[in-house]
Amino acid sequence: MEIPNGISKGESLVKGGKLIRVRVEFQGNRIKEIKITGDFFLHPEDKIEDIENGLKNVPIDGVRKKLDEMLRDTEYLGFTLDTLVQAVEEAWKRRKRI
Amino acid sequence: MNLRIIYDTHHHATWNMALDESLLRHLPEIGPTLRLYGWEPPAVSIGYFQGIEEEVNVAKAKQMCVDVVRRITGGGAVYHKYELTYSIVMSPPSGKILDSYKHIQRGLVEGLRLIGINAEMSGINDIVVEGRKISGNAQTRRYGGLLQHGTLLMNVNVDEMFSILKVPQEKMRDKLISNVKERVTSLKHLGYEIEFEELQKYMAEGFKNALSAELYEDALPNEVMDMAKKLEVEKYGNPEWNFKR
Repeated sequence: MEIPNGISKGESLVKGGKLIRVRVEFQGNRIKEIKITGDFFLHPEDKIEDIENGLKNVPIDGVRKKLDEMLRDTEYLGFTLDTLVQAVEEAWKRRKRI
Repeated sequence: MNLRIIYDTHHHATWNMALDESLLRHLPEIGPTLRLYGWEPPAVSIGYFQGIEEEVNVAKAKQMCVDVVRRITGGGAVYHKYELTYSIVMSPPSGKILDSYKHIQRGLVEGLRLIGINAEMSGINDIVVEGRKISGNAQTRRYGGLLQHGTLLMNVNVDEMFSILKVPQEKMRDKLISNVKERVTSLKHLGYEIEFEELQKYMAEGFKNALSAELYEDALPNEVMDMAKKLEVEKYGNPEWNFKR
């Protein structure tokens, strides 16, 4: 059903202490745009924009490695690497072609 | 440490957030500072990472003359009406950020103890009484300093709060609201009706004891107010900031 270069969108909500919501637009199996919102804490806060930009063009199976790298010099509360990866993977599973 | 204390009054959300940020940015000039304030008109503040449209019914807020503002701190959406809010700026202590949350929250726990209420910390950033939340707190570290602000509920009207706040899953709305009613409390619900000014004194004393601080009052330098005025207009009153996520 999915064509290799098709654009699809997915959204998910994961509870891991706090709530994380991701909205992702995929191009084929790569992330085209992603927005991560929720009531979590990330220090420094501005890093969220770097993370969203850093995930652009990353294939779905490379998300964990990329997030692990980018979260290394931050301190975060209310979510874990696992819950964030899970949120992106859920969005991937639920994606719909647009 | 010496801790400057500001017994402030009730202000617009944009001013409250602008002054908190200005205090943080001027930490080297003004030293550790505690501000105790309220909100008028009522307001919703959302966490730095939250999507405004996901959290707030903006049209309803406008209709009810409720301010909506994005904080520079993370955490959740808060409806500010019947409450006392504190903000504190200081140098970040060494150690984990989570530990510093607790360190500062001890000020409120101690303030509540002075009133006769046995409160304790819960989760990352909450203070609870008899298992029910009475305070939420959020911290940021920027410009070489630490800003933590948090609420103390004097009263709470959950139905009013959720007439403006959205819920993550609309079909779960009723259940969520009844859960919140069971999980939240306030001074009034605990049987304490304390005037705002009197509560300020209790909390000031609480922070004094918990942080082993000497409190002093002193006027803020003009540049602190000038920057706050600028931030109020250019940042916290600006849709570009409030709607950025």
